[in-house]
Amino acid sequence: MAQQNALEVRQLRKQLGHKQILKAVTFAAVTGELVAITGANGAGKTTLLRVIAGLARPSGGEVLWNGSSLRLDSRQAAYVSHQPILYGSLTVQENLEFFGRLYGTADPAKLQELLELVGLWLYRLEPAAVLSRGMQQRLAIARALIAEPALILYDEPFTSLDENGREILRQVLENRRPRAVQLLVTHALEHLQGLPFREIRLEEGRSVPKEAAHG
Amino acid sequence: MAEFWRRIWILYRKDLLEEFRSMDHLWSTVVFGTMLVFVFSFAVQLADVSTRQVFPAVLWVSIFFLSVVALQRSFAKEKESAVMDALLLACGERSLLFYGKFLFSFTLLLLLEAVVVPLFWIFLDVDGAGVNLGLFAAAVLAGSWGLAAVGTLLNGITSQLPSARLLFPILAFPLLIPLLIGVVLCTQGALAGQGRSTMGWLYLVFVFDLLFTILPLVLFDYILEG
Repeated sequence: MAQQNALEVRQLRKQLGHKQILKAVTFAAVTGELVAITGANGAGKTTLLRVIAGLARPSGGEVLWNGSSLRLDSRQAAYVSHQPILYGSLTVQENLEFFGRLYGTADPAKLQELLELVGLWLYRLEPAAVLSRGMQQRLAIARALIAEPALILYDEPFTSLDENGREILRQVLENRRPRAVQLLVTHALEHLQGLPFREIRLEEGRSVPKEAAHG
Repeated sequence: MAEFWRRIWILYRKDLLEEFRSMDHLWSTVVFGTMLVFVFSFAVQLADVSTRQVFPAVLWVSIFFLSVVALQRSFAKEKESAVMDALLLACGERSLLFYGKFLFSFTLLLLLEAVVVPLFWIFLDVDGAGVNLGLFAAAVLAGSWGLAAVGTLLNGITSQLPSARLLFPILAFPLLIPLLIGVVLCTQGALAGQGRSTMGWLYLVFVFDLLFTILPLVLFDYILEG
């Protein structure tokens, strides 16, 4: 049975320059939960994910992972952006191997399994730059999963994915459910149809206190 | 600690793989270095001055400009591919990026100098008699180390700014003045066959290198903060 982990965000604030992006964000999630974060453009959704991941420091409040501060060096989090963040000059396989080695896990069988999961095994020797945007996004998803992260942060991950790609991502979300806390920023909740999830809405940097359960 | 160096090695290997796969940037920098050799040797001969006297200054001015061209792309691939976030999460420590990039920059500089330094020696017709080669090599190595360290640090700072290409050389020059003074005087002493009397300048370079190798361990956490 996968380890149960708990993410807690308490009164999180983030200021960039003179602008208060996040004002008071509070919520919690545990392993097995998929939390959809919604809100208008500029509400602070991406900023929230980056602060939770440890990529940006909060201006106030705290992010706790199993009761302790979640820091970048804990390496518990993986991040799937709406941009396929990859090295274009490296092949599909090299991209995955590189990130796998950084995480200390570059088992060839596991890499093959991940590439087959996202439908890219046949393209493993192609430079990432020549792939279509949707295929790059699928590779980015595989890259995020390489270390079996306990916390997965998705920022508009359905962007650029075709129907096949969206189905792959839905399978990933369902497959990872027992093993991870998953936070997903999206404008299109219909992509999560059939998946149980909880919604948290950000409005002007604040989390809406009432959370609706879906699925 | 072993894990720290292991990840640095992985970053270093990846940068080498990317650089030698495309070779465009490397070749263009070699051509630039070769042009510097030709221009300076032409100008020095016209000026009718002792090449031994001008060699240290000409050499290090050229290596400085070579490093500006070669090193200001340290973080370019991460910026172009927007891959920095994924890299930071995988590394876990921001300072790892500095040391991985620094090793790559140092290697790149040494490869470029392996071409440019002998060319300068030949085209400026430097008399090798009595030269303290050990001191000369130490000056080149230590000077390159300092250039790579400062270059990587400044790249980390400026890569997140819109005017990175303009800011990098502007910020680099004042920071590198102590290093340039040290390596020029060391090179001058080496050509004159000096040893002990020039060691003080070499120690200055070593201290500079040490400072800019250790400082990023603390600073880089704030430099690459989102």
